[in-house]
Amino acid sequence: MLRAQRGDAHAYEDLVRPHQEIAFRVAYVIARNPADAEDATQDALVKAWRALGRFRPDEPLRPWLLRIVANEARNRRRSAGRRERLVLRAAASSGEAAPSPEDTALDRAERAELLRALDELPDAAREVLAYRYLLDLSEEETAAALDVAVGTVKSRTSRALDRLKEGYGPRA
Amino acid sequence: MDLERELSALQVEWPATPGFALQLGRRRRRWPLAVAIALAAIAIAFAVPQSRASILHFFAIGRVHVRVVDTLPPAQQRPLSAGLGKRVSLEEARADVPGILLPATAAVPALYLAHGNVLSLVFVHEGEPLLLSELVGGGGVYLKKLAAGSTGIVGVRVGDAPGLWLSGSPHVFFTPQRSPRLAGNVLLWESDSTTYRLEGRKLGKSEAIAIAESLRRG
Repeated sequence: MLRAQRGDAHAYEDLVRPHQEIAFRVAYVIARNPADAEDATQDALVKAWRALGRFRPDEPLRPWLLRIVANEARNRRRSAGRRERLVLRAAASSGEAAPSPEDTALDRAERAELLRALDELPDAAREVLAYRYLLDLSEEETAAALDVAVGTVKSRTSRALDRLKEGYGPRA
Repeated sequence: MDLERELSALQVEWPATPGFALQLGRRRRRWPLAVAIALAAIAIAFAVPQSRASILHFFAIGRVHVRVVDTLPPAQQRPLSAGLGKRVSLEEARADVPGILLPATAAVPALYLAHGNVLSLVFVHEGEPLLLSELVGGGGVYLKKLAAGSTGIVGVRVGDAPGLWLSGSPHVFFTPQRSPRLAGNVLLWESDSTTYRLEGRKLGKSEAIAIAESLRRG
């Protein structure tokens, strides 16, 4: 970190490379399309480099980086004025036991339905659930990405789950 | 399974994470000398065609980011003066953008102001329209996307300032709140916290640098 803060670009690359995937996905949840998420992440990585001198080395890097990425994605979405669907698809199940074709089809339909319900939530609810459960961010990281307090993440998550239950149907 | 566990168990097909280039041009204020050295090194690398694919992926000069892509996104061909913002007088421009640079032409150029800190000047040089944009301070990023192999990019110096020269096939230019357009040859440089962009379809490198170095405080 100190080398990066002294201006060593290679040291900066080494620092942020492990976080690029999660940064891109955080941006994608907000931007809702891969091209805008890519632009937001790329620009955020440059901004983070320029702001690195103000970063406190005793703090974790990932929440700080995700905050910058999410802000950049949010600014882009605001200026673009677009509202697109998130278009997340459920991946094939990776369970160990081989399910029957009927079970697989049912499971796939349920997962698709859950993602549809998630996508139809308001932005604040959708983002907090995507970060906490789909990306497995900690509450602190989610708070950084949403630019809110940790307490707000807790209350927003609870309300978002209630709303998701309403949209997901009687089985939830 | 409750809803939280069901959400956590979801395997989502995320879009593939692109490769992000971290060939970073500069970090402001703190390392001016190191930046100049790094820029010069990268500029040399830009000038070597066979090293382009591995090195030239992303670069930033002030508020303009340059990115090399495999395929250009769709963009419109538009006149240089289209969508530059509100037409303003020289006095209005001076009031909003202190220390503006003006070309050494007899006629006052057409002036346009956008977002309060982006001044654009359209003027004629040897019969050809040119666009000079002055992007003051921070704010929104202006993005250029270049097709690898068809648009050339070399590092240059404008006076003491580091710059980039983009020429060859048109590239795609993104400005905040506007649809992308195709852009011609462009000289980019940064000086005194202002990013400058000089564009002309038939503009040559030496000519562009000469015009840039002849600009005067207005």
